[in-house]
Amino acid sequence: MSLKTRADIARAARGIVPQWPLNSFIAVNPLGGYESTDFESVQVPGAVTTRPLTAYRADIDSGRITPEDLLAAVHERIPEFRSRPVRVGSATISAAELLVAELTDPTPTTVSPTTPSEQHDLVDDITSKWVAAFLDPDPLWRIPRRRDGFYAAWRHLATHDPDLPWAARRAARRLPARPEDAVASAMTGLEVPARDEDSILRRELAGLPGWAAHIKWRSEHVGDVDLVDYLAVRLSLRMLLAHSSGSAALSTYEEAATDGRRDLWPRAVRVAERLGVGTDSQTVAIIGRVLAFHPHRDHPYTLQRAYEVHYARTLVLPLGNSEPADLLPHLQLVACIDPRSEGIRRHLERLDPRIETFGFAGFFGVPVRFSTYNSPSSIDSLPALLSAHHHITEVPQDAGDAASYTKRLRTRQAFAAGIHTGESTTVSPFAFAEATGWLFGAATALRTFAPTTAAKWIAALTSRPSLESSVTVVEAFSLQERVRLAEASLRMMGLCRFAPLVVLAGHGSTSANNLYKSALDCGACGGNRGDVNARAAATILNDPDVRALLSEKELNIPVDTFFLAAEHDTVTDRISTFDTHLIPETHRKLVDDFDRLQGAASDALIRERAQSLPGASPWHATKKTRRRADDWAEVYPEWGLVGNAAFIIGPRELTRALDLERRVFLHSYRPELDPKGAALETILTAPVVVAQWINHQYYFSALNPETLGAGTKTTHNAIGTLGVLSGQRGDLRRGLPWQSLGVGDRLVHEPMRLAVIVQAPLNHIIEIIGRNTVLQNLFNNNWISLTAREDASSPWYLYGRYGWSSSHLNTTPTSEGTPS
Amino acid sequence: MTGLTKMTRVEVVISNRDAPPVRELIVSAGATGYTAVSGVSGLGHHGAHSGALLFNEYDTLTMLITVLPPENAPALIDAIRVLLDGQSGVMFVGETYVSRPEYFQ
Repeated sequence: MSLKTRADIARAARGIVPQWPLNSFIAVNPLGGYESTDFESVQVPGAVTTRPLTAYRADIDSGRITPEDLLAAVHERIPEFRSRPVRVGSATISAAELLVAELTDPTPTTVSPTTPSEQHDLVDDITSKWVAAFLDPDPLWRIPRRRDGFYAAWRHLATHDPDLPWAARRAARRLPARPEDAVASAMTGLEVPARDEDSILRRELAGLPGWAAHIKWRSEHVGDVDLVDYLAVRLSLRMLLAHSSGSAALSTYEEAATDGRRDLWPRAVRVAERLGVGTDSQTVAIIGRVLAFHPHRDHPYTLQRAYEVHYARTLVLPLGNSEPADLLPHLQLVACIDPRSEGIRRHLERLDPRIETFGFAGFFGVPVRFSTYNSPSSIDSLPALLSAHHHITEVPQDAGDAASYTKRLRTRQAFAAGIHTGESTTVSPFAFAEATGWLFGAATALRTFAPTTAAKWIAALTSRPSLESSVTVVEAFSLQERVRLAEASLRMMGLCRFAPLVVLAGHGSTSANNLYKSALDCGACGGNRGDVNARAAATILNDPDVRALLSEKELNIPVDTFFLAAEHDTVTDRISTFDTHLIPETHRKLVDDFDRLQGAASDALIRERAQSLPGASPWHATKKTRRRADDWAEVYPEWGLVGNAAFIIGPRELTRALDLERRVFLHSYRPELDPKGAALETILTAPVVVAQWINHQYYFSALNPETLGAGTKTTHNAIGTLGVLSGQRGDLRRGLPWQSLGVGDRLVHEPMRLAVIVQAPLNHIIEIIGRNTVLQNLFNNNWISLTAREDASSPWYLYGRYGWSSSHLNTTPTSEGTPS
Repeated sequence: MTGLTKMTRVEVVISNRDAPPVRELIVSAGATGYTAVSGVSGLGHHGAHSGALLFNEYDTLTMLITVLPPENAPALIDAIRVLLDGQSGVMFVGETYVSRPEYFQ
């Protein structure tokens, strides 16, 4: 019985996507558990999957959605309507245009998707209190019997819980000892019929979806709690409360009956009136038969698709078809595929046309667990799709420096631990405040009025001392592994000719007093800064043994090419370089030249970004905008990946001359270096998957800021590094805070599903999709779209469940609003 | 099979992202261990499946193999059937023989 209970719970929890803790923020598609079903069939309590119809109608009025976008969306949905004329009255128009006439009706009869109203549930309140107490990593008092598990610890204390009625507390003494038995006992006590158990489990899991998602992650990565424990507490509470109030039976979860059917006749009459074709019964009947193919529930999805088509068309039409420049660049820069890198790449290329830039996942193909020198802790700097198999650390260049470094580090750690103890033990905070209040008061004033100066002081007092070191890649990876990773990386990004200096620039984000800081760091590095992976990749690619074996695979890295690790700070836009002690004398001048160039590009980019940052202006001094990195009152240090909407896989010639407004993931790729499509398969199954997680996190957070987003930062209350609550109790917040998506009441992010655009052999793409279920789910079920062309001179094709079809992206919009 | 002890072998082929609850059921059933083979490839109900992917372990198929005494197997088999209901994944059950039964009890 207990095994079956566990299986029932695991099955009910299938749709829950694990939620990582805040300190290693991993963007996830919150509805990723439904990817095996069509996007339009997903229904989740408390969430919508499209915008309100009023928003789309405003877009139609403003021209953000045009009639031709709507036609394209209708053609995608019902391909048969592409060339089906309909005789209505004395006119002949296409069936698709009839549907567009209804969609553009300014006074529609359709209703917007709505979020079900929430009912207050005492079980949610009590459960959230206990689960927060149990999981808090840094509590003032540790919960008794924690080692016995969540249910056992709660059961021990439930008899003293003042939130429970006296009768319930008394009954809690008789609860079963094992959580599986408690679940079964509660189902019996609540008189739940066996056929309804699954829906009851799902309803309970949906009660506090944030906590349930985090517990699912924790059961797989930490193991101190699982969903059986969690549901045992919830269902026991529900039974205790029901019995204490005199009721027993638990009603099953009944979804609100949705009547998607509306009378076709008034819809058809309305369309006939709009078209001016008369409203005789025969005409109305003909129109009604066409409208029947496009019921009301499909309207928001068609409008959403039209909204996406409009952007995709403006993106794809200007894509270039030039050949790569013959001239060998004097400098190459490889940046992360993150849309923010597009800005710095564009400005560098504009300032120096002889620079060549590439896009590649920010972990540079080297997934590692990393510990700084002599540190007992580590980070997993790798995509969440991978597990850490290689642990690297640092080796100091100089033993004397290392000893001094260790001494200073221990002093700082002791200082920090002393302050923490003073703040957090039972009585000491009073004395601590008396003794040090004047100092912290002055520091507070300094941080408020001179954040940059304060940041320098704080860094001097608390930051890790600097140490010249190298990363231990050679110890962690065999030569064959290093060669394999290097070859895969070079082929994936199409890097086959090498400048004397190749900069590998990861990225990270500097901000103060920001619980969501990790969300602004590199997603490919597990929500960490990308410097470690850049250092590891540069070490591998500078290794003469690796180069010797690469040359046997026709990847010849010249002996005078040097790979330099760097990091782009996406708040200050500066690029810092690492391991500079390893730079050969012959390359010092090149590095100096790069440093000057990046300074100018950085200034140009931050002025560009200041145009859209709340409270900033391009006329401000760049120093003022950069100050956001240190300002502890700044809730908009940067916009992150707001606006992300597309993922382009192809050579830089496609996009080099364009301003993509930092909205597009750019992965470099050259099919000629990848004859079997192996590199393309890796790109589609890893960077694209991570990018769609990010894209859908923005998408659903924007549509559901209170349920799938984290709400406003201003009421956030941190539970250690686990996550945040809004206020004192309640659910663990999921997704992104409103300050990552909008300003005031205005949504800045345009919620669009990722448009993947590929220049590669179409047969390779089809074969890759055919053998990867994850891609079939994403593309066939409309979670993301795929448009591809064979080469620069070929037309674009749109991928669908049944193969390729001619893409509407090939058409140039005309001023009349019809495709040419 | 002289000197060998009869046991039940349970094999489950499932997406790696769906594997944690299966592993948890195996342990809860009292099995003393299991073998996981990640990145398995083949042809099945949903078509062909790639083997190991270079940078994605999450979406590849994994095969979990466990051996346990016949009297403990039915509960695990029933539970895995419940879990696999409505999702992709297959289970194979068969007899097997082991030379050191104490390892599996």
